[in-house]
Amino acid sequence: MSDHTSAAATAAHSHAGRYLVVWAALMALTALTWGLSTIHIPGLAGVAVALAIAMVKGTLVALFFMHLWDQPGPNRLVLVTSLVFVAVLVTLPLLDNATRFPLANPPDAETAPQRIRDAILNEGPPAPAHAPAHP
Amino acid sequence: MSQHLESSPPVYAERNYLNTPATGLKSWLTTLDHKRIGVMFLIATLFFFAVGGLFAMLIRIELLTPGPTIMDAMTYNRLFTLHGVVMIFLFMIPAIPSGFGNFLLPIMVGAKDVAFPRLNLLSFYIYLLGAVIALGGMIYGGADTGWTFYTPYSTTTTTKVVPILLGAFILGFSSILTGLNFIVTVHTLRAPGITWNKLPLFVWSIYGTSVIQILATPVLGMTLLLVAIEHAFGWGIFDPGRGGDPVLFQHFFWFYSHPAVYIMVLPAMAVISEVVCAFSHKNIFGYKAVAYSSLGIAFVGFFTWGHHLFTSGQSAFNAGIFGVLSMFVGIFTAIKIFNWVATMYRGSISFKTPFLYFIGFLFFLFFGGMTGIALATVSLDIHWQDTYFVVAHFHFIMVGSTIMAFLAALHYWWPKITGRMYNERWGLVGATLVVSGFVFTFLPQFLLGNEGMPRRYFNYPERFQALNVASTAGASVLGIGFLIILIYILVSLKYGPVAGPNPWGSRGYEWLTPSPPPLENFDVLPAFERGPHEYHELPGSESAAPGAGTSHA
Amino acid sequence: MHSAVAHHFESLEKQGQAQRLGMWLFLATEVLLFTALFAAYGVYRYLYTGAFSQASRGLETWMGGVNTFVLVTSSFTVAMGLDAIVKGKNKRTGLLFGLSILLGCTFMVLKGFEYRHHFLHAELPGPFYGGPIAGSGGSMFFALYFLITGLHAFHVLIGMTVLGVIGARTWLGKYDAEHHVPVELAGLYWHLVDLIWIFVFPLLYLI
Repeated sequence: MSDHTSAAATAAHSHAGRYLVVWAALMALTALTWGLSTIHIPGLAGVAVALAIAMVKGTLVALFFMHLWDQPGPNRLVLVTSLVFVAVLVTLPLLDNATRFPLANPPDAETAPQRIRDAILNEGPPAPAHAPAHP
Repeated sequence: MSQHLESSPPVYAERNYLNTPATGLKSWLTTLDHKRIGVMFLIATLFFFAVGGLFAMLIRIELLTPGPTIMDAMTYNRLFTLHGVVMIFLFMIPAIPSGFGNFLLPIMVGAKDVAFPRLNLLSFYIYLLGAVIALGGMIYGGADTGWTFYTPYSTTTTTKVVPILLGAFILGFSSILTGLNFIVTVHTLRAPGITWNKLPLFVWSIYGTSVIQILATPVLGMTLLLVAIEHAFGWGIFDPGRGGDPVLFQHFFWFYSHPAVYIMVLPAMAVISEVVCAFSHKNIFGYKAVAYSSLGIAFVGFFTWGHHLFTSGQSAFNAGIFGVLSMFVGIFTAIKIFNWVATMYRGSISFKTPFLYFIGFLFFLFFGGMTGIALATVSLDIHWQDTYFVVAHFHFIMVGSTIMAFLAALHYWWPKITGRMYNERWGLVGATLVVSGFVFTFLPQFLLGNEGMPRRYFNYPERFQALNVASTAGASVLGIGFLIILIYILVSLKYGPVAGPNPWGSRGYEWLTPSPPPLENFDVLPAFERGPHEYHELPGSESAAPGAGTSHA
Repeated sequence: MHSAVAHHFESLEKQGQAQRLGMWLFLATEVLLFTALFAAYGVYRYLYTGAFSQASRGLETWMGGVNTFVLVTSSFTVAMGLDAIVKGKNKRTGLLFGLSILLGCTFMVLKGFEYRHHFLHAELPGPFYGGPIAGSGGSMFFALYFLITGLHAFHVLIGMTVLGVIGARTWLGKYDAEHHVPVELAGLYWHLVDLIWIFVFPLLYLI
């Protein structure tokens, strides 16, 4: 079985150089995403860039620090499967809130009609005393 | 060579897991043997089944007449909550995977034990801890939220909901550890000769179950934790008064709890796939289809949770998606049903007790499944939501089929677990009572729901009384059936005839070892040349024909 | 046969394979545990986009950033620790794990200062929120902030304990070049803690 040879390879070889390169890349990407956040990319683009960088970093960690690069299939399958369900759990509820009848969302959500929001922010119990200043 | 091995087990193994290495209570409580842990799980789950059943009987007696019959409304609310919690978290989820799965899965893959025996024992004690905390909460005051713990009611109720949440949270860990153990066992401990395509179908289904347990249970844990935090500190995650969205709770809850239905039903299907072959004495029809459809159900089961939220304020767009995806489960279930029926076709059927339960299972799965398709239709669901129609539906599909399969498993593997046979005649009586009692309990509830009787109500209008009485009468028959089973099965422990290694003439791998199995499952590891569902004659093997077992008629 | 092989495994290698797979399955449950919180974050960020970015800008980004550097570096030292034991240098592994624990402590201390800051400014969840953001968005952000970072900090603590135990055992020579799967598994857990922080950092601090 190919598992055996690759597991044996993990044990036999030193990966110090590889770890060093990955570490440097992770530090650089952290600096990059931090730097990019200071220029405030507007709207969803900023979120997308930040998450893309995080995914690259996460992939590096999973592949090299966590050795998925040279480990047998089941371990990779476990992580990939769990990520599929992460995607499902994150997207479907979000999709629900995004396509809902607006008044079915929480009353002072920013997606609610402005008139209702203003009324709640001015009178509703959760609002602090200095509420009207909201843009 | 393998011929010799396969027919060699002694009639009753003197040294078996029941008396090796010792018989004392301590040797059981500290055992790492998967078989003993499985048996302990079986005893514990059966105990909680009795507790949950007692609650059910009290509920049915209360509903015998409109208005208060034997209890007040608050007691009733607590009882149906506890009935749900006990039956789901303490009986149905662990019963087949942790009980029979623990006992059988390692034997079926030719392993000496599960991959992590200590974790396995830990899983049992975590289960006990969770059960004690949940039961403690019950005695301490109980909760009145229903087992679904819907916010914002669950976060504002004055009843003691936190201990029960905590109990369910802890039980989740037990479930996760068992699932983890099974997956690793199947991947790494299969004996030489057992390839993926020669795995018993029981193992395939339990594998699918384990995948769900691993992926879904943590989400439930987090959700229950959030509800507990909300209940204690009012952080507002699910509280619309603080900007939270209660429907989000329902999303999270059902992300676990809908797949949890498959945690209950897939193991039932696992049992049934074994039983139908063994009692039809015929190859399984479409091995790969049955095997892969288990994984299909496990996967698709994750994409259907929104059908619980059709009337909760979920968007119409999402409702449409979830409605259609829900019906996909029907495809995989139908594949299985067709294959089981095709397996029976022109088989040499011996109509023993497990087979009777199989027939009951088919009926409940089919009827419950079809009403499920109807409920997944958004427009129809709006009429039926939160009525007894839903109650009857899920009692058919998830409780009915799980209990049928559980009892089929109990009878089918009883000789393997104890080495003794139960009384077949009483077995048929018990099965008849249970199947018919179950039908007569829940058929009236379909009608009640369709008429508009809402679930979880303590009171109802006069015109619903006749059907409620019918339902309670059915429940009584069901209760008597269970009592009979309990009695004859306990009697057989002492007086039952010795079963022999393979009383059913089955080809499953677990029947290749003596009953009860020895400490490390096989004294001599068989070659596993024949598949576990192969009843065709191999060339030159007349002596091992199906029916060579002792009690086959 | 190696003394660490349990009776039901045929070889040390097979046992190692099983333990790795078991660990990965456990890590999958950890991922999904956090996912519930991330999903809640996604929903509420959509509902309170403005309030969330306003609250996010109020966080001490430099602390989060420095903590990211710290945690990534600790992951690196853990990886180097595994590399050392593969070569049979158990003392070096013990030292590197110790260094990782120190980095973990640094992370926790910084986190503590951050929490102190939030307490002083009443940037707290639910009814305890007294910050400048009108409506529910601010309190919701901090509810999620404390839930996510709190759960993560809890995992850091567990990870430090695991590293401590395994590191000490390695120092004492319980593991060697042939048998070191527990060292690897401890590392896997720590890397997962790092992996989750890699996503927490941009979600809470940057966007």
